[in-house]
Amino acid sequence: MTGSQTRSTIGMLAPATGLIAIFVLVPMVLTIGLSFTQWSTQTGFETAAFVGLANFFDLLGSSSIGRDFRAAFGNTAIYTLLSVALILPLSVMLGLLVHQTFAPGGILLRTVLFSTYMVPMIAVALVWSKLYSPTEGPINQMLGWIGIPPQTWLSSPRTALVSIVILNVWQQVGYFTVLAVAGLTQIPRSLYEAALVDGASAWMQFWKITLPLLRNTLLFSAVIAVINAVQVFEPVALITQGGPVNSTNVMTYHIRRVGIERAQGGLGSAMAVTLMLSLIVVIVLLFTLLRDRGEQK
Amino acid sequence: MSAMRPYRRYPATWRWTLVSLLILAIAVAAAFPLVWMVLSSLKTPSESMQVPPVWWPGSPNLNAYAEVADVVNLGRSFINSAFIALVTTSAIVVTSLMAGYAFAKYRFKGRDWLFALLIATMFLPPIVTLIPLYRLTGYLGLNASLLGVVVPNLANAFGIFLMRQYIKGVPDDLIDAARVDGASEFMILFKIVAPSVLPAIAALTLFAFVYHWNSYLWPLTVLQGNTDQYPIVISLSRLLSYNRGAMNTGLVMAGATLAVLPPVILFVFLQRFFVDSIVATGVKG
Repeated sequence: MTGSQTRSTIGMLAPATGLIAIFVLVPMVLTIGLSFTQWSTQTGFETAAFVGLANFFDLLGSSSIGRDFRAAFGNTAIYTLLSVALILPLSVMLGLLVHQTFAPGGILLRTVLFSTYMVPMIAVALVWSKLYSPTEGPINQMLGWIGIPPQTWLSSPRTALVSIVILNVWQQVGYFTVLAVAGLTQIPRSLYEAALVDGASAWMQFWKITLPLLRNTLLFSAVIAVINAVQVFEPVALITQGGPVNSTNVMTYHIRRVGIERAQGGLGSAMAVTLMLSLIVVIVLLFTLLRDRGEQK
Repeated sequence: MSAMRPYRRYPATWRWTLVSLLILAIAVAAAFPLVWMVLSSLKTPSESMQVPPVWWPGSPNLNAYAEVADVVNLGRSFINSAFIALVTTSAIVVTSLMAGYAFAKYRFKGRDWLFALLIATMFLPPIVTLIPLYRLTGYLGLNASLLGVVVPNLANAFGIFLMRQYIKGVPDDLIDAARVDGASEFMILFKIVAPSVLPAIAALTLFAFVYHWNSYLWPLTVLQGNTDQYPIVISLSRLLSYNRGAMNTGLVMAGATLAVLPPVILFVFLQRFFVDSIVATGVKG
């Protein structure tokens, strides 16, 4: 490489790389470092006092710190599992409806589904808090029409977390539908034509051709859905504040409350590190389970 | 776009009707919350509180919109949101074009390693770095100001990734020819490469604008309760606490409708670019 080439390489890369280094990579390293310290977020980094693994022992211990953290961790795990379990099948089903061309409306459906993805989560939370309202809300009213008794939705610890999963799925499913459509367009048509010649039913075609060939798309969708799910914050911050009875206290909300509002920066960082490690484990597991290992023909 | 494979079990018209109805039903159900939001913003306060709920406003009026402007500083919040979204978006487009060009067309030591490191940050939930970042912007004197919202968000890995995907497709001959003519690398990037990846620029513009118009966690944290600098989404959340006693749903819904408009309008006009870019990053990636 000549000198001018080196200069232009550095010139092109410097702004983006520098910004990401300062505002993402450095804080990432700091989070890991601070997780071994006791440190008030209100003071400078130099006041952090090394405490070894004490924060992590607190998270595992029997004090209220540990109990609250594990509750938030559990809520996030349930939340993530439910979100992924709803989003993936829905995205494939809706993707098929958008992708098919023998009936009209595919593009309309895509437009409607994807516009919900553009709506600020705060607005989503506000609107759904009204839709869920036990008395003035239309959801219980509609359930009543088909003979289902009114539900408690956000106001009971038993149903609050699921209610937030539902509003999040509503907001996000359009994005995953577009991903599914992208996967569907990659499947060669000739496979279906051959299957038709062999007399395979539509049901068989779906299980033997469509689903196996969507594997990589579904893997990508699952990873993104997991990462999105641990970020749920607005509906909790706005409507439930983690309640009722801590039933919607999720990781992003809990870490922010501990690390920013209560200024326990070391403890909050230890929670953030635990979250990141758990995410890495989940993503590695997803890859091992779903990756195409070439056993298909 | 390939047609759905024709299979013969039901008569074609029967199947056509069934699928059309299914699509219509799902579209209506998906649109329902937003329709409800707009309808509720047009209702009178007493209509909003009726049990069972009234679906259609008896005398649709815009009173809630006038009132919401009084309760929160709506104009100021909109300007703040526009500032945040426009500054971050323009910066992201420029920094992503530059880095994407380097990763797509330059050969240098450690390129793939550096690219992988940057891409890894795409998968990092913001909460993981929130606490030290808050202290860091404090050191830089950016807390409690709009600059603090904007400065950490002037570049992102997704933009670099998207640009690299598209710029890879720009023919090398085009770039080499310009170099022979003595064009500088910046000239080449902005006069030749950028115009040939306009769909990617459109998609990134929309993604970045919508993301930063909607973003809540970081502005809420860094602004430290400085209400003058609040973007519309945070002002909206204050509306709910104001509203909690009064139960004036119309007000909240009017505010929500206004906040939703810019990103949704932008999307409806430019959705083609969104969809194409998702295909480019999600599948080919």
